[in-house]
Amino acid sequence: MATTASTPLHDDLVSALDASRVRFRAIDRALYAKDAGVTPGDAEVVVFPESAAEVAAVVKTAARHGMPVVPRGAGTGLAGGAVPTEPAVVVVLTRMTGIVVDEANRMAWVEPGVINLDLSRHTRPLGLHFAPDPSSQAACTIGGNVANNSGGPHCLAEGTTVNHIHALEFVDSRGEIRVVGSAAPDTPGLDVRGVLVGSEGTLGIVTRALVKLTPDPPAVRTILLGFPEVEGAAATVSGVIAAGVVPAALEMMDRPMTEAVERFVHAGFPTEAAAVLLAEVTGHPAAVEAEAALVERIAGEQGATTVRTAADDAERELLWKGRKAAFGAVAQAAPDYYLHDTVVPRTRLVEVMTGLYAIAERHDLLMLNVFHAGDGNLHPLMAFDASEPGTLERVQAAGAEIVRLSVEAGGVLSGEHGIGLEKRDLMPLMFSPMDLDGQARLREAFDPGGVFNPGKVLPSGSRCFDFGRPVPDGAWV
Amino acid sequence: MTSLRSLVARLFDGAEADAPGAPDADFVIAPRDRDEAARLLDIASEHGLVVLPWGGGEHQGMGGRVEPDIVLVTSSLDGVIDYQPEDLTVVVGGGTTVTDLEETLAEHHLTAVLPEHPGDGTVGGAIAAAASPWRRLRYGPVRDRMLQVTLATGDGRLVTAGGRVVKNVTGYDIPRLGAGSLGSLGVIVDTCIKLWPRGEASATVVVDDPERALGVAHKPLAVAGDAREARVYLSGTAREVEAQAADLGGKATSGLSWPHDPAGEVAGVVRVPPALVGDALDRLPAGAGVVAAFGVGEVRWASDTDPARTVLTEVRAWSETVGGSTVIARAPDGLYAEFDSWGSPPSTLDLQRRIKAAFDPAGVMVPGRLPGGV
Repeated sequence: MATTASTPLHDDLVSALDASRVRFRAIDRALYAKDAGVTPGDAEVVVFPESAAEVAAVVKTAARHGMPVVPRGAGTGLAGGAVPTEPAVVVVLTRMTGIVVDEANRMAWVEPGVINLDLSRHTRPLGLHFAPDPSSQAACTIGGNVANNSGGPHCLAEGTTVNHIHALEFVDSRGEIRVVGSAAPDTPGLDVRGVLVGSEGTLGIVTRALVKLTPDPPAVRTILLGFPEVEGAAATVSGVIAAGVVPAALEMMDRPMTEAVERFVHAGFPTEAAAVLLAEVTGHPAAVEAEAALVERIAGEQGATTVRTAADDAERELLWKGRKAAFGAVAQAAPDYYLHDTVVPRTRLVEVMTGLYAIAERHDLLMLNVFHAGDGNLHPLMAFDASEPGTLERVQAAGAEIVRLSVEAGGVLSGEHGIGLEKRDLMPLMFSPMDLDGQARLREAFDPGGVFNPGKVLPSGSRCFDFGRPVPDGAWV
Repeated sequence: MTSLRSLVARLFDGAEADAPGAPDADFVIAPRDRDEAARLLDIASEHGLVVLPWGGGEHQGMGGRVEPDIVLVTSSLDGVIDYQPEDLTVVVGGGTTVTDLEETLAEHHLTAVLPEHPGDGTVGGAIAAAASPWRRLRYGPVRDRMLQVTLATGDGRLVTAGGRVVKNVTGYDIPRLGAGSLGSLGVIVDTCIKLWPRGEASATVVVDDPERALGVAHKPLAVAGDAREARVYLSGTAREVEAQAADLGGKATSGLSWPHDPAGEVAGVVRVPPALVGDALDRLPAGAGVVAAFGVGEVRWASDTDPARTVLTEVRAWSETVGGSTVIARAPDGLYAEFDSWGSPPSTLDLQRRIKAAFDPAGVMVPGRLPGGV
């Protein structure tokens, strides 16, 4: 309810934490009822725990009051994963920022509020870094990365967040603090750790993660390639991988995006090119040299008109700044944007991009593309002005078509942003009722009362099959 | 039982099979497709019959012993279903042997990065046993290859999760949950695996200081051996392999000659944080054969029964105090009665039970095989 008067729930939370970290003024509730996407929600109260014990106390308190719990990091998500769909206790984890590095094992225990880039900065003196590097890495948190199994340009060779998590401490739906996984490999038993990663705050609240730290590569080469046709860029991506090389990153931008970025960053991107590829090879100096030569040769065969290798770290950083600032650059084109995230088999990139442009044209929308071409992870972005009546509806209709096009090409709903609210009702495009029921049962095993982040990931009615067999004694301890 | 026997005989006529080495069971059946597999599990749940899935029998020494009513042989759930070499994905039936799959992939210089010496092992079996290869140091454990899985659940549902692309966060990660599930949730009828290109060149370098080698070599496939001598496995372009071998400074030979698991009556694995592999080697009794995966935190060991007792008491106790485990991979029957296969049960037993029940509500899939008797 939209009241600023104290309630029994507020009082109990204040005694669990303290008054300064329990907020229920209208402005706080509005601020924390939204993520970086377009859908607002309904926060009843916002809390800022500073330890796992406090998170546990919050979960227990909320349960006593029959109030759902929605965990939240920096709120950079675009899929509505942190948006409370009904009045809820929003648990903001950004005050939990401890890092304990275990250099000998190349690991670190990291609290969920640590910002992704801060972790790699912290371990830089040791020559180690956290490999997942979403474009939002200067703002997004490790807890959010775990919740969404975040990727980034460099997950092409290194894998997404789940490949970099050895263990998790989390608070379960009964408010108990649990640990799954270990610094030792293959903890006996079912891999609960793997299920928690990417579960979008619906199975538990992660309070610490034991992350893998990756040695910095001894050599890096970053190459900017421009092509007169999208086909040439796509064929280069396929050709490089077919030649047995998986580069550290293979990023593509189309002309509208390149123009926007160049106006914003002035990195010397070729604005006349139909497609620009940013390729990065890392590793042993001898490998980097050979692999860079291979990338350049294949790009040449595919008609590249620009081939520019970053001469030094400064130029390399400038090229990456162009790539990672792409979404900021769009602000110059229009006041609002809607960024999508789907994956298609890499070999279908060209036909899917043709389809994307057709969708944009049909809905009279400006579309820009910047994406992880190496793993077929598309990020079509529609720039628009939400104050024009009917525009947001057109954007959302186009978005649904984009997802359908991707699934029809053999792809999936999301590569790294998650399902959240945004794609929840599109899940049946990929999964049968029985598949969704299987996922719903798994969720129930963690959270039988539906405490955590209700209304996310699975469409309502997913739990639809019941074979009616008795459960053996002791199975539901 | 008689009417049930005739019902099963009628429904699965022609699907009777052999499973050499499997424990005695009333029925040994190789379902001919995923629907038949699901139907058999449905009947098992209906009648409370215990099911033991059986691939090549390579990993059946793991976990608590199971006395099955039905041995479900996966040999007919085999074959490549959808192979996209340019997308680095392959969909295969769970009963496909690792050897057959790798042969198919080798034509395009690709690999599924499954165990290097698979024996008769199947893809489904390697995944269910979380049997990671030596190359895990570079490519991660077998679970990191799991893109999509179709499980025939303990109660006969066919549940597909994940997708056929190399990156995906659509829904819960049931494919990874299948890795290491040891048949406790159901049968892996098919799966989509992420592939990796094989390097154009490779070499094996003998070194006397594996910890130093881990610091010198960049992304080696593996560093494996014992405290006195280890081998560094390199792969990449010819010039890189040559340069890395020179950096390491040991004797290099072309190609990859993977270690075999040590031989002995009892076999198992000590798992500890990677920096403690040297300690683990020091603690293993002299009578045990060992191969360590440096940088991973794993020592595979094998021995006669007496040294094995020392491993399963003293080394196990130590490994658990440092957050690891000491597990049995294979042993004579008597030893399973003497020692738990896994050691101390995990602290999440309640959750493990509930997850199992989500897939196998009647509890017919390999009861007692997982840690803590789950």
